[in-house]
Amino acid sequence: MNTLLDTFRNDGMRQWLPLATLILLVILVGAFQPAFLDVNTLLQLASDTAVLFILATGVTFVIMLGGIDLSIQSMASLSSVVVALTLARFGYGAFVFAFALGALAGLLSGIAHVRLRIPSFIATLAMGGVLSSAALVTSRERSITLGESERAYLGWITGTVFGIPNVVIIALIVLVVAHILQSRTPFGRYSAAIGAGEPAAYASGVKVDRQKIFAFVLSASCAALAGIVLVGRLASGSPTLASELLLPSIAAVVVGGTSITGGVGSIWRTLVGALIISVVRIGMTFLGVNIFAQNIVFGVVLVAAVAITIDRSKIPIVK
Amino acid sequence: MTIETSIHPGPAARPATRRRWRIASWAPLIVLVLLCGIITLINPNFLTFGNLVRISQAAMIPLVLGMGATFIILMGSIDLSVEGGLTLSAVILSMLVINGANENAFGLLGVLLVLIVGAGVGFANGVIHVRLKIPSFMVTLGMWFVGVGAANALLGGMAIRINDPLIRGLAIERFLGFPWGVWVALLCLAIALVIQNYTRLGRYIYALGGGEELAALSGIPVGRVRILTFTLAGVFYAVGGVLAAAQLGLGNAQIGTGRLFTTITAVVVGGTALSGGQGSVLQTLVGVLIVVVLSNGMVLMGVPPSVQIGVQGLMIIAAVALSIDRKRMRIVK
Repeated sequence: MNTLLDTFRNDGMRQWLPLATLILLVILVGAFQPAFLDVNTLLQLASDTAVLFILATGVTFVIMLGGIDLSIQSMASLSSVVVALTLARFGYGAFVFAFALGALAGLLSGIAHVRLRIPSFIATLAMGGVLSSAALVTSRERSITLGESERAYLGWITGTVFGIPNVVIIALIVLVVAHILQSRTPFGRYSAAIGAGEPAAYASGVKVDRQKIFAFVLSASCAALAGIVLVGRLASGSPTLASELLLPSIAAVVVGGTSITGGVGSIWRTLVGALIISVVRIGMTFLGVNIFAQNIVFGVVLVAAVAITIDRSKIPIVK
Repeated sequence: MTIETSIHPGPAARPATRRRWRIASWAPLIVLVLLCGIITLINPNFLTFGNLVRISQAAMIPLVLGMGATFIILMGSIDLSVEGGLTLSAVILSMLVINGANENAFGLLGVLLVLIVGAGVGFANGVIHVRLKIPSFMVTLGMWFVGVGAANALLGGMAIRINDPLIRGLAIERFLGFPWGVWVALLCLAIALVIQNYTRLGRYIYALGGGEELAALSGIPVGRVRILTFTLAGVFYAVGGVLAAAQLGLGNAQIGTGRLFTTITAVVVGGTALSGGQGSVLQTLVGVLIVVVLSNGMVLMGVPPSVQIGVQGLMIIAAVALSIDRKRMRIVK
């Protein structure tokens, strides 16, 4: 009975730990640099977090099931290249095209994982190679800067509504859709069930394979959307545009408190995690940490967060 | 205990699976021979001595990296920190030997220090993985970026030119027509073969991959074996870093880009199963040759190099799909 109470208390604490960390970080950075708490700086922080959050949201669905997607950065880069190349010809259709391509890539990863029974980290690592190769070939290994006429199509990403950047609004829409998917649909329930215990979910008649494939489709589609938003913000597409975003995205999910063993997690936690990553990044920039060296911190944070959130009872043999 | 049974222990010892596995273990070699045949038919230049040297030069680094990765995958784990270890080693080497940025001239001692750094990276992987009980792919994913980040921080965005004749000689000086680096890689292969077949560590690695619970119950110090294997792999990546720095003549932070992918492709295409327990370093040699010959053939046929990552990706999927023993894994995550 006592141990049960302890677990409960531990879980209760763990659940609020990320949010407490975020608030503490904001106060810390704010104390050192009062300009940080300015409305404009905070809005800038929100728009900088948007891409990271969209990527992390997609991968949250996969991690909830106990899998992983290592191809999101390649997908986002490919999507940026596709948009940059086709914007002049298709206009707004280019965005739809890139998004559909993302869904297709996710479908293929999902099928490779589920039907061929390849572990998700290796299937998506391989798929990432295929996608980044596609991006390199179609872009002829160059970054593509958009012309003046093409930039006209980017208004929905670069503009503002009542002073709030559209990027933030796009991220909020993703948040709402993802939250509804996760908490109000059978897919969300089944994901949590599969993550918590796949054999039990299977035995209760959940169509495990279909849910998994759908999660990969969502992950790659979110990555494609992130690529589209990146094109809007940078007015260019490149085959390596998002390659630095894999680690922060996965770190955001895990730091938020979603367990990589699956079953435990939510989009809200990912939002908190993405904000933590952004604030840490800004804090390090204020402290003068070399931008290249920041990956060291994210790597350490990732491993530390996994160590705290992982459910060891679920993996008798850690490989 | 013959060597044959020590190579394929565990559940695979059942006659039917074993026969199937024996055929499967020859498949990569057949693919390699077929591949060489087809490319020769298309472009006879493939079989010239000059091209053979070119293939050996392209194969030396993946081979060394593959040795480390093979041991890890044989345990059923994975190591994504290949690029981290390699980049950090190459950059530190470029700072220790005669170079264009500082006055150091440690020579061979520098190489030794780099191998120790590599061992340290691998040891950190192993300790975090075993003591904190974190799955290896997550630990090594973190270490990948820590390694590359540390290399970047050391360089501060520059590249350091290596002027040491000892290091440059690995890529330039030749013995029997092949660069010294190729001989170093073959020496690594020999060491890996000895570790695999004639040491307790080698046996233990197979035992762990075949069935960890059984291995633990039979008194094998599972945690120590895992840490030791990750350390060993780190040393191999450091050797890969030395060779990469020698080949490029530079220490820069992009030196490792794409190498993780080639390494895992080579190990998996060689027929080493990701589930652990099945495979060998010799199979990785075949896998490395398949990957290198294929990309050499594509160059001879005029296919752009950027297509090759995609082809490797498809090869990983195909090889894993063909080699996975589905009876052993009911839940795939």
